[in-house]
Amino acid sequence: MKKIFTTIVSILGFIGAFAQQGNKTLSADSMLNLMSNTETQHEKILPAFNATRLIFSPTTETVKKNNLNFLIIHRFGDMGTAFGGFRTFFGLDAVSDVYLGFEYGFTDDFQVSVGRNSIGQMGESQFKWAFLHQSTDGYVPFNLTLLAGDGIRPYGNFTSFGDRLSYIAEIIVSRKFSRTFSFEVSPVYVRDNQPLPFVAGNPPGFFALSTAFRWKLTRRMSLLADYEHPFSSYRNNSGNFEDPLGFGAEFETGGHVFTLNITNARAISQINLLSNSPSSYGRGQFRLGFTISRMFDFNKKKNSNNY
Amino acid sequence: MKFTGIFLLAWMSIFQARQGVFVCKNAHVSIFSSTPIEDIDASSIKAVSVFNADNGDLEFSLPVRSLHFPKSLMEEHFNENYIESDKFPKATFKGKILSPPDVSKDGTYPVNAIGDFQIHGITRNRTITGTIIVVNGVVTLNSEFTVKCADHHIDIPQIVFHNIAESIRVRVSGTYSLFKN
Repeated sequence: MKKIFTTIVSILGFIGAFAQQGNKTLSADSMLNLMSNTETQHEKILPAFNATRLIFSPTTETVKKNNLNFLIIHRFGDMGTAFGGFRTFFGLDAVSDVYLGFEYGFTDDFQVSVGRNSIGQMGESQFKWAFLHQSTDGYVPFNLTLLAGDGIRPYGNFTSFGDRLSYIAEIIVSRKFSRTFSFEVSPVYVRDNQPLPFVAGNPPGFFALSTAFRWKLTRRMSLLADYEHPFSSYRNNSGNFEDPLGFGAEFETGGHVFTLNITNARAISQINLLSNSPSSYGRGQFRLGFTISRMFDFNKKKNSNNY
Repeated sequence: MKFTGIFLLAWMSIFQARQGVFVCKNAHVSIFSSTPIEDIDASSIKAVSVFNADNGDLEFSLPVRSLHFPKSLMEEHFNENYIESDKFPKATFKGKILSPPDVSKDGTYPVNAIGDFQIHGITRNRTITGTIIVVNGVVTLNSEFTVKCADHHIDIPQIVFHNIAESIRVRVSGTYSLFKN
């Protein structure tokens, strides 16, 4: 009896030892890989753009939760016309448009912004919702952000209050093709209750397409280009409209994003620049501009040191 | 009969000597640095680790993106400009604990681990001190060490020099369970 018991225990012990041996053949390395593979399912890519705006167009990025972004955007006067040249230091003495505004993130994907433009003394408010995020594994191939906004011109002669209002709706689609190159294309609809400019034959509403890219040269500096085209027979045929085209360099300094650009359009607001951009590069009507954005973070500091 | 008893004991002791492989799927990693302007403080509970108590093999892997900062912009810059986590998604340690303690007995054991520490794609051979604590058979590993940014080619641009300290304190803590196939 005892002999049988001994044998059984011995065999069990042997099997036990053998099983342990089996464990060891599975290397720590492959076990680590097995465990960590599940962590990275459809992970969001790092942001496609550094800022919420490029030169004219908004990006797919939004201000993160409890962050407040303060924006100062400026466009100077013509560089190449009679008003430019060395006398005005290539337009620096003149102001074409100034925008002051705030953007606040209610969640990581939803922001509200308010601001004021010099052109038309137009106040603007916008909602922006980052709807889809490109994922590292390609499961979601692009970012998609929806934007809706309105503009109101409190001064000037209008026949009714409604005529003071303009609206904009935009579907912003962007893709980060590589660590350095991001491209975006956005169908836009603009509606000016009183057509802008207010001339016969100008329809109050029209579609437009906005395209832009960011090419990151160094960790701090990127090149930008931004091109907008309205699909409006009035704008394409009247001879009084030029497609806004801008080139810029963006500097990111941790908390601040600073953009220097050259544009033909005077206006900063997309409502204004898509509706009415007569300035032409060919006539020397291009200007220097800049954007300064400063991010304030109101998230409470968590103490992660006690665990 | 006596012989059988010794034989049995011998088998049992062999069985006992194998302490097995321990795994941890939610190790806590926190990084901290202090500068006159602001403190950097981020933590993750997504590090994974494997510890072979028989031969002392120890591996750690942290998905860098899982480190969360109280300031979202700081987190973005940390990933994009400093660690470049899209290129180097993981921080790892692969090494050996010298003279691993008997984890079948409760106690607090100071240990040294020698091995390759990798972050930002740069590997350094390091000796990292830590403590293994065994309470009622539950194995916990704690460690605190410093990472010098320059050692791993984590460049600090002049323009934001004051925001980032030149060395970062790292704390690691993991509670392990016996790995079962």
